[in-house]
Amino acid sequence: MRAEQQAGTPLLQVVDGSKVYGGLHAIDGVNFDLRPGEIHALLGENGAGKSTLCKAIAGAIVLTSGDYMIRGRKVSFASPKEALEGGVAMVYQESSLVPSMTVAQNLELGMEKWVTVYSKINIAATQSLQSMNFNVDPLVLVENLGTAKRQMVEIVRAVRHNAQVFIFDEPTASLTPEETQHLFHLLNTLKEKGAGIIFISHALEEALNIADRITVLRDGKLVATVPAKDVTRDSLVRMMVGREETAAQYATHGADPDAPKLESARGEKVLSVENVTMGSIVKNMSFSVFNGEVVGIFGLVGAGRSEIAQIVSGARKRNFLRGGMIYLRDRPVRYRVPRQAVRDGIAYITEDRKVDGFFETMTVDQNIYLGYLSSPRIRRFFYSAREMKRIADRWISALSISALKRTLKIVEYSGGNQQKVVVGKSLAQEPTVVIFDEPTRGVDVSAIPQIHQAIRGLARENKAVVVISSYLPEILAISDRILVARGGRIVEEMTRADATEDKIMYAAIH
Amino acid sequence: MTGTSGARGPKLTQTTAVLAMCAVLIVVFSIFLKGFLTLGNLFALARNISILGILALGMAVVVIGRGLDLSQVASFAASTAIAIILMNSGYATPVALLIGFVMAIAIGILNGFLISVIEMPPLLTTLASSLAVLGIVRTTAVQHYVVYLSKGHDEFLRLGGNIWGGVPISILIFAATAVVVHLFLSRTVIGRFVYAHGDNPDAARQTGLPTRPLTMIEYALCAAIGYVGGVVMVAQTALMHLQVAESTIIFDVIMVVVLGGVSLVGGRGNVMSVIAGTLLIGVLLNGMTIMDMDVQTQNIVKGIVLLIAILLDSRLHPRDEETSKQGD
Repeated sequence: MRAEQQAGTPLLQVVDGSKVYGGLHAIDGVNFDLRPGEIHALLGENGAGKSTLCKAIAGAIVLTSGDYMIRGRKVSFASPKEALEGGVAMVYQESSLVPSMTVAQNLELGMEKWVTVYSKINIAATQSLQSMNFNVDPLVLVENLGTAKRQMVEIVRAVRHNAQVFIFDEPTASLTPEETQHLFHLLNTLKEKGAGIIFISHALEEALNIADRITVLRDGKLVATVPAKDVTRDSLVRMMVGREETAAQYATHGADPDAPKLESARGEKVLSVENVTMGSIVKNMSFSVFNGEVVGIFGLVGAGRSEIAQIVSGARKRNFLRGGMIYLRDRPVRYRVPRQAVRDGIAYITEDRKVDGFFETMTVDQNIYLGYLSSPRIRRFFYSAREMKRIADRWISALSISALKRTLKIVEYSGGNQQKVVVGKSLAQEPTVVIFDEPTRGVDVSAIPQIHQAIRGLARENKAVVVISSYLPEILAISDRILVARGGRIVEEMTRADATEDKIMYAAIH
Repeated sequence: MTGTSGARGPKLTQTTAVLAMCAVLIVVFSIFLKGFLTLGNLFALARNISILGILALGMAVVVIGRGLDLSQVASFAASTAIAIILMNSGYATPVALLIGFVMAIAIGILNGFLISVIEMPPLLTTLASSLAVLGIVRTTAVQHYVVYLSKGHDEFLRLGGNIWGGVPISILIFAATAVVVHLFLSRTVIGRFVYAHGDNPDAARQTGLPTRPLTMIEYALCAAIGYVGGVVMVAQTALMHLQVAESTIIFDVIMVVVLGGVSLVGGRGNVMSVIAGTLLIGVLLNGMTIMDMDVQTQNIVKGIVLLIAILLDSRLHPRDEETSKQGD
């Protein structure tokens, strides 16, 4: 494959690139190159390092080690602006246009002269848009444009900066099929003009259709770079999930006394979600959770997995009309605020502890005690330091939180300890249904098994446990039953025994 | 045990910095200003700062809960004016004061309701409610801007006087309020909830704190404590001038609160911070008055002090830099 490389140097090259965040490799020794006139698809699970690689290429982050070359010349971009001047443009998933400005003004953004003559920039905008055959009125405000047209404007903006490398992060995620076709047509036009295009996607078929070459990343490492015509969907899925080495990190339950239960052994039905709908994110989602089992919900970004958990726990509201039903022990429930869910024994443990998990000005003890106090079943007027210590002690030992200096604020602890505190804070409320959202995200490796043990321990205490994760080994390691979410629905249900990484991944990608 | 929000120990906090600044000022003024370090002047200083301090204690409760109450002054002006009118028309003093108190609390609860249930931004909500409250009171009950307390309420007016040969009663009321607010914030569950609410409102809601009633309690307390300050003001002057609500007092209150280290970020600071801020402003104003500075110069100094305080606040509570997350 490499033998038939053209004579020209690659447009862009990353040699042995690594990026380290707090001791963890987001990408690790990745070699990547992009040729002129090529569409290069980048595939991988959530957390595989696709975005990190692209951010490094687009100048949003700087590589910890490794070389980055453009046309054989070594470069180091300190900001996206420098990268754009160097000919690398990123077309973001979330549009980076200013909604309150017109298309023409947005195209001019960052290149304004001292005085803006509107007639001039409008004519220039019309010319650029027409040269690419884009049917967009330059005088329209961007906020009135749909996603597809916004993308067009972003592309034109990149072209006007003389960009040679275009990075598209999930460009088709919010497009209709026709719009997707149009985008692909555009990509081909750019390609014919000699530009290089990096294309990140979850949709394998798209990558197979449009890409010339495909690079697969897994756990921050490069698995392979192959010509698109040499691979099939099946082999791609295998490349994306095959993870012999890292699977060892996760205890499998084979010989474990704590092995997942058989269907016949599970308890009564506790929670039942029927046709729940919320906007366009959750559509007719249905599933049930039983006592004493861990239900794993796997899904990619945008599958509606966190949203359904937030609906169940009262943090979000489902549609008022035709929003479906949620039953807690056969009693229909609809919560306005999380407090009502907490009263009924439902705990939701957030995926982003900094945003809505812990209280940063408080110590470990205070965080856990506040969780206990905020349970509506606790009626107490005075804050008791003695009770705080007793309750904090209980959960610090139960979750093996290494809180050596109890007077330190929680922000001074490691991610793993913070996560355990957030778990303890919820468990102190004695819930009967516990929903974990990405329980080990940003957690140090040593704390992962401890958190998993705690989750299995809850099921052993006959509680109903739901674990939402976008990390396959985690889902496989701790679930009794696995649900796969896609596009706001549960599309597949399997038992632990039937599930394999390939099967789950297959169901999760469209 | 860290009863309050951990502002103890040798670590440099804004509160200790402000107290240090205050100590330096006192030493400098005592040496260079004739008449600063006399018992009479110190009592005058205490008398001057106590109302500001009481108002700031109320404001601190709201600011710790990540809110802001611009209607505090309007609310106490309106409710004390009503109380005065009731007293003038023959109601027993305690009854009249109680009715005013209930009115202040009602305004606070209404603010809290609009902010937490209707989810309106605190700044604009309280700005609007201050205008509305004042307007309604002016059109319905109070004909003139100035409401005088009629003769025959000497018992009540004694609150604005001195005791034990010169100690102003108002400073004792400030001290008592400070103790009550301190016990509330550090020793009661609701007080700790206020800190949690200000520290991270999303986490507070998710954890199951009753955030809506909590917001109403915070604003009601702010209004109630403000009312206490208003009553002291009436006792000192035997009148309530409704234009006080249109003066810059509300900004002085917020300045004292922020100066002492009750950050607008929420969840930080305690009663000690409010006392520190009040003392610093009090000493500064008193010194400047003895120096016979004009109001403009005093304002410049106040402005500079506030800027320094805000600078300190942003240095001591920097935005979290660890936001860089692993890509997905």
